[in-house]
Amino acid sequence: MVKIKYLLIGGLVVIIGMVVVFYFFPNEEKKVKKQFRLLSEGVLKSPEENAFTMLQKMKNIGALFDEHCELKAPSQSLSGSYAREEISTYAGSARAYFSKLDLKFYDFHIIFSERAVAKVTLTARLTGRSTAGEQADETRELDCVLKKIENKWLFSQIEVVEVLKK
Amino acid sequence: MAVNNKIRQFFFPSLTPKFLIRASSVALFAYLFFGYLCIPFTIQGISMEPTYRNGGVNFCWRLHTLFSEPKRYDVVTVRFAGSKVMLLKRVVAREGEQVEFRDGGLFIDGKKIEEPYVRYPCHWNLPPRRVEKDCVYVVGDNRSMPIENHYFGQASKSRVMGVPLW
Repeated sequence: MVKIKYLLIGGLVVIIGMVVVFYFFPNEEKKVKKQFRLLSEGVLKSPEENAFTMLQKMKNIGALFDEHCELKAPSQSLSGSYAREEISTYAGSARAYFSKLDLKFYDFHIIFSERAVAKVTLTARLTGRSTAGEQADETRELDCVLKKIENKWLFSQIEVVEVLKK
Repeated sequence: MAVNNKIRQFFFPSLTPKFLIRASSVALFAYLFFGYLCIPFTIQGISMEPTYRNGGVNFCWRLHTLFSEPKRYDVVTVRFAGSKVMLLKRVVAREGEQVEFRDGGLFIDGKKIEEPYVRYPCHWNLPPRRVEKDCVYVVGDNRSMPIENHYFGQASKSRVMGVPLW
């Protein structure tokens, strides 16, 4: 009986150890997810945001993208290759339309197809309120490709998946 | 005294091997049941009103669609990249059928379909389109908003996760 008790405690310690290792040690998957978290932080907007913060966030958003990024979002009339600066400017003008904005990502599926290429499928939910007071709540599935350039994972392709086709 | 002991034993049980095994089994069962078979969700949005109200709580019962095909009038959940965010919609047409809206009325293969669950006035017009193979056509019950603002259309059957429990 005592042996079983020690075995169980030992097993529990091993499981806790594995969980600690899994959560606290950095790996490529976490680095990829971090880029999405940074994108969320860049998009996040509160009504009190000042011009300096806005410019800083635009710059931060641009820094997450590759020199040229392929965007495919036919419903938003966005299709083609865009330079980092264009994306930064587009993000700025899109943010200016809203007084409150929040972008959240869910259900990450990350595949490392090559050593420096990560393919990510996820759900993105954008909620907010326009400056005219209209509520916005859009959810889309995204297929993203991130490339590791100079030890940083940068967005090089974002495609909006058509879940419901009218 | 005995009652006190029982209460104390109930809230602060001794960590015996038997108790640990029982607690682990319950935790594992709950994780599998509520994570994969009967997924809890809250309704956010008004696209299914008045059948399902914004803020309501429900469970997505997955076995229903694992063993049977979605039928017309079934309310189903449609997944994006995973089960964290899903759409709650009603199936109005199946593969091979032709869907059309004429002044708010739903027409399947040219015949008007009665929809008692649509309570709000609707004046949608949508040219006829055929539902592709392995797809179902889903629409929300609330059609009071302009057709452009309502997210609906055909979804692959593989995206249909289940049905709400009530």
